[in-house]
Amino acid sequence: MSRRGDWVYENNGGTCVAVAGADYCVVAADTRLSVGYSILTRDHSKICELADKCVLASSGFQGDIKALHKNLAARELLYQHQHNKRMSCPAMAQLLSNTLYYKRFFPYYAFNVLGGLDSEGKGCVFTYDAVGSYERTGYSAQGTGSSLIMPVLDNQLKSPSPLLLPARDAVTPLSELEAVDLVKDVFASATERDIYTGDKLEIVVINKAGTKREYIDLRKD
Amino acid sequence: MSIFEYNGSAVVAMVGKNCFAIASDRRLGVQLQTIATDFQRVFKIHDKLYIGLSGLATDAQTLYQRLVFRHKLYQLREERDMKPQTFASLVSALLYEKRFGPYFCQPVIAGLGEDNEPFICTMDCIGAKELAKDFVVSGTASESLYGACESMYKPNMEPEELFETISQALLSSVDRDCLSGWGGYVLLVTPTEVQERVLKGRMD
Repeated sequence: MSRRGDWVYENNGGTCVAVAGADYCVVAADTRLSVGYSILTRDHSKICELADKCVLASSGFQGDIKALHKNLAARELLYQHQHNKRMSCPAMAQLLSNTLYYKRFFPYYAFNVLGGLDSEGKGCVFTYDAVGSYERTGYSAQGTGSSLIMPVLDNQLKSPSPLLLPARDAVTPLSELEAVDLVKDVFASATERDIYTGDKLEIVVINKAGTKREYIDLRKD
Repeated sequence: MSIFEYNGSAVVAMVGKNCFAIASDRRLGVQLQTIATDFQRVFKIHDKLYIGLSGLATDAQTLYQRLVFRHKLYQLREERDMKPQTFASLVSALLYEKRFGPYFCQPVIAGLGEDNEPFICTMDCIGAKELAKDFVVSGTASESLYGACESMYKPNMEPEELFETISQALLSSVDRDCLSGWGGYVLLVTPTEVQERVLKGRMD
């Protein structure tokens, strides 16, 4: 693809995961930046805190991701000035979708996972494709390791069917500690088999007390 | 549309304590249409040696027939069954013979060798062997299988636990792949017995 004179994207690799709980949300991403078979840096954050209860993790082409995060952060600041409050996670979710679809015919090469707390304080995760199609789910993975991680999250956190009545919550009953442990486990597994995932894992946990950040070492090979 | 994704398949083998398990999905499709929901992908060579063939179904069947033929000749000449390592070399040689017009199959070989030591290996469609101590995967769901097996596997599992682990890994992985699924078929082999089980999963 890169032999063409007009191919303007590249994939910098990496994996992002988010898990929603009853009153918390875990958003995690590895910190490796690659191009082709080379590593550019082992220490690059893919996570952006857009609002106090809203965190975005994106993998794909870092050029587009930097621009997208900057765009959204600017729009959030405008919202703050106009409405005298920070953007809620569901509002940011819609804004992200619209921002992505705005460039439907020259997309942001970004695979996004938005996590945070909704207006009731419950955990929420929104998962996107590159052109803005989105869905609120209980958990999601995007990026090069997503196909390795999703089946394991399905197995451990299986969402109830949306056809069930009465409607059941998609958020997991697991505790915050158990969810963080699960995220660490799935990243360790993805690191073994995906060459673009590794180095360090950045975990952000959002709950009503605020936002906590943690770094875990992953395999560096 | 890759030729390897024409029929859809998922095969996995895992090593346990003095035992192994080999499993596959049961769907046979022609691109997006499902033709059969009881298609056999794991074949017996002898009591302690099994081969799972993912990829193009016609090549899987032809390759199996050729391998059984070669093994029967070996049995007549040597008056014994083939060791798994020898069989793996045979499969590798047969595939490389067709280097410039290959069989579109990825075999997964699992057997109990000398002293009932479990042996698993996989190879690509032209015979590059890859031995593993823990698990091997192949098919359209291979990426999902890698993730699931890597998370769920631990060494030296007893047969019951191994069966549970390989079943969960297979069913979770094929549920994320539209071309494989419609149940699972698991074979658990110990030095004394062989257990075959059919799994019911999402039938889609």
